[in-house]
Amino acid sequence: MKLSELVNKDCSKAAVLFNSKKRILEYISELAHSQIPNTSQHAILDALMAREKLGSTGIGKGIAIPHGRLEGLDKILAMVLVSEQGIQFEAIDKQPVDIFVAFIVPEGDNQQHLKTLAAIADTLKDKSFCKMLRQAKSDDELYAVIQGELDE
Amino acid sequence: MLEDTFLIQNKLGLHARAATVLAQLATQFDAEVTLYQGDKSAAADSVLALLLLESSQGKEVRVVCEGPDAQYALDAIGGLIENKFNESE
Repeated sequence: MKLSELVNKDCSKAAVLFNSKKRILEYISELAHSQIPNTSQHAILDALMAREKLGSTGIGKGIAIPHGRLEGLDKILAMVLVSEQGIQFEAIDKQPVDIFVAFIVPEGDNQQHLKTLAAIADTLKDKSFCKMLRQAKSDDELYAVIQGELDE
Repeated sequence: MLEDTFLIQNKLGLHARAATVLAQLATQFDAEVTLYQGDKSAAADSVLALLLLESSQGKEVRVVCEGPDAQYALDAIGGLIENKFNESE
């Protein structure tokens, strides 16, 4: 599995403008709700916030992986958002975060969850890929970067 | 260089939160800490690298520590894994 297979065009958002952890999580839940209308935005936000309470998903180097588990979901929903400015996210290295790979996963299936995390990590460990994500000026361009359609 | 092998016991395995706690702990030591599982290895202070190990419940990971406080690092990290990353199940 690859990140490119998990993210669709509507879930690729470049140069978003938010200035707090709460606001970006609200936006992520809004975006997720538009993709899975049967699940309320409130439930999604609650799941994301609950996870952050256990410890920030800011994993360092300007990257965060906000995620939550929800019942009644039949497959994973993944989103990539790049913020124009770094947001304080209580990250492990205390640095602001501008790359957000958010995902909502079905309850259960721990093995699959580890596979998803590994797929995301495999993509994000590539520094030049992260640079291209940050440089994308439009949602279309960001989506093309994720799909590997843009060369450096 | 010191090393030991530990069993991943918590239900969720080395998921994001566990990896973050481990990475935070690893950065507290001067010793260089590396985790090995099968043919894969990861610097313990990198969450991304740890997630790539895909270590699930029941897997064995080898922890290798190199540096002046290697023994402390090995004890602390081994303890964290054996304590299920402070998770309840």
